[in-house]
Amino acid sequence: MTPAVAIERGVMVAFAAFLIAVPWLIPAVTSSFWVSVIAEILIWSLFAASVNLLFGYVGLLSFGQALYFGFGMYGVAIGIENLGLSFWPAFGLGIVASMAMALVTGIFAVRLTWHYFAIITVVFSLIFYFLALTNKWLTGGDDGINFALPPTFSFGGMRWSFTDATFQYFFILATVAVCFWLTHRLIGSPLGKAFLAIRDNDVRASLIGLNVYLLRLIAFVLAGFLAGVAGALFAFFGRYASASYMFYHVSGEAVVWAIVGGAGTLLGPIVGTSVFIIVREIVSTHWEHHALIVGVVAILVVIFAPKGIVGLWREWLLRLTEREPAAAVETKLRTEP
Amino acid sequence: MDKLLLLAMNGLIWGLIIALIALGLAIIFGLLDIINLAHGDFFMVGTVLAWATLQSTGNFWLAFIVAPLIGFILGALIQRSIIQPIHNVAALSIVATFGLSLILQESVRMTFGPTPRRILPPIQGTFPIFGIDYEIYRLFAAAVAIAALVGFFLFLHKTKLGTWMRAVRHDRDTAVAMGIPAQRVYVLTFAIGFALAAVGGVVAAPITTVEFRGGVDILPFCFMAVIIGGLGNLPGTAAAAVLLAFMEGVIQSFADPTVARIASLVLMSAVLLLRPQGLFKGLTR
Repeated sequence: MTPAVAIERGVMVAFAAFLIAVPWLIPAVTSSFWVSVIAEILIWSLFAASVNLLFGYVGLLSFGQALYFGFGMYGVAIGIENLGLSFWPAFGLGIVASMAMALVTGIFAVRLTWHYFAIITVVFSLIFYFLALTNKWLTGGDDGINFALPPTFSFGGMRWSFTDATFQYFFILATVAVCFWLTHRLIGSPLGKAFLAIRDNDVRASLIGLNVYLLRLIAFVLAGFLAGVAGALFAFFGRYASASYMFYHVSGEAVVWAIVGGAGTLLGPIVGTSVFIIVREIVSTHWEHHALIVGVVAILVVIFAPKGIVGLWREWLLRLTEREPAAAVETKLRTEP
Repeated sequence: MDKLLLLAMNGLIWGLIIALIALGLAIIFGLLDIINLAHGDFFMVGTVLAWATLQSTGNFWLAFIVAPLIGFILGALIQRSIIQPIHNVAALSIVATFGLSLILQESVRMTFGPTPRRILPPIQGTFPIFGIDYEIYRLFAAAVAIAALVGFFLFLHKTKLGTWMRAVRHDRDTAVAMGIPAQRVYVLTFAIGFALAAVGGVVAAPITTVEFRGGVDILPFCFMAVIIGGLGNLPGTAAAAVLLAFMEGVIQSFADPTVARIASLVLMSAVLLLRPQGLFKGLTR
């Protein structure tokens, strides 16, 4: 283990410990309002992770992930409000709906690459956004659907539900953590290596016998899964679903979060999402025009840290930890005759 | 029948204005390889400049000089300060132009205010055409849009700068080897792209509302025109813009505007999947 890796593991352990301590630590330091902000950050970073899975690991820039986020939301909302489902079946319905949608649209979309892929994904998401706007009987349009949340677990008289803020936070944290762990395992697996091969050179990948089309489709459905879980969680969190979350601006924000955080790194989406949402929450209470700062931050990051914040941090860490051995070698060489 | 004709005419004229904006997007897309998410806001800045010119001088026509000029300068500044440092990397350009879009919208919201405003058409009155009384200003807007389109194509094919732009788009390395200052051509392209969108904004200002979100709906429409017309096919882009808006106008005469928008999006997906080189490939060259 090189020092750089050791430092990074240490940071990750500290970060995990912080996330577990949030429900007690944050109300003690500031207000409990920030606990729900952190829960929201976790959900949105899962959404940014779905963009990152496609762009950072497979090389496909999707601009329509909001479609699968929206299907996750509506799966939950329609499941509870119209079909009368309880918590877990509604959660399942949201995830299955977004994965099915990702499969159907992916069959067409992954035939294209690069600019064309980015545009067809945004077109698909816009089609369903407008369909959701017009079919108010099902979706509630821009106003959306509000629903009463059923309990998550009930054993006999014991009930746990999202009305308990601490339970809500830990349920979101656990779900997001499992998804990030699955992504981590995926990237390390042979399937993940195949994704990286396609990202780096799709022609070579196909020449060594990889089925590029099928692998891209698999990645697209898996990204749909991540976006769907995020959407379902967000529906539980807000107790509602709305067509406005399927608009292309939502997809665009996720792309910005993922790239600013660092595309192709596991924690990049979390870092990017945190930066933007924390800036938004701090500034918006004092100043109405917080979007101005978001725009400036986005531009500064791509100009000065094209590999994202995580990329910048890694470069900095490598330089810091490798300076000493390099300097030692240099002095040793000089002293020799 | 009258309603159909009216909406079809409106669609046609709106399409000519969109064609102007989409051309700006197409040259930026084709030459700098940048997906410009702020392009709708360039149009919006044009409408706001038209309103500001009218308010401060009382003369709407001055906006046809002021807006493209400011647009050109802003475009050149933006290219030098934001686009050039990221070396035309497409993924970064999306983030940068998204940020730019937020900055433009918020700056307009701060200065101009959040409430939508309307500009009265500077030419009042109607004109009988095809059996309906049609607003004269809309006919004038169509004429201006056509004149600007023709002017742009003349510039591209008859002047040295236009030839440089086409050369850099065709083969950058050879163009540089021939002594064409590619960097300056990039600045010029971005500036012209902004100026075209600003002209579109001035022409459209009395027809639509002036507000800081005015570009949000325009952007997907312009991308549709660029894709359906074929990437890099400028006459195709202009034709596709007119065709799409005309089609939406016709559909709006018997269905919801949203249905019309869905129809053009479905058409666009079909074009992307079946003819990714654009609808008109082989017709124009």
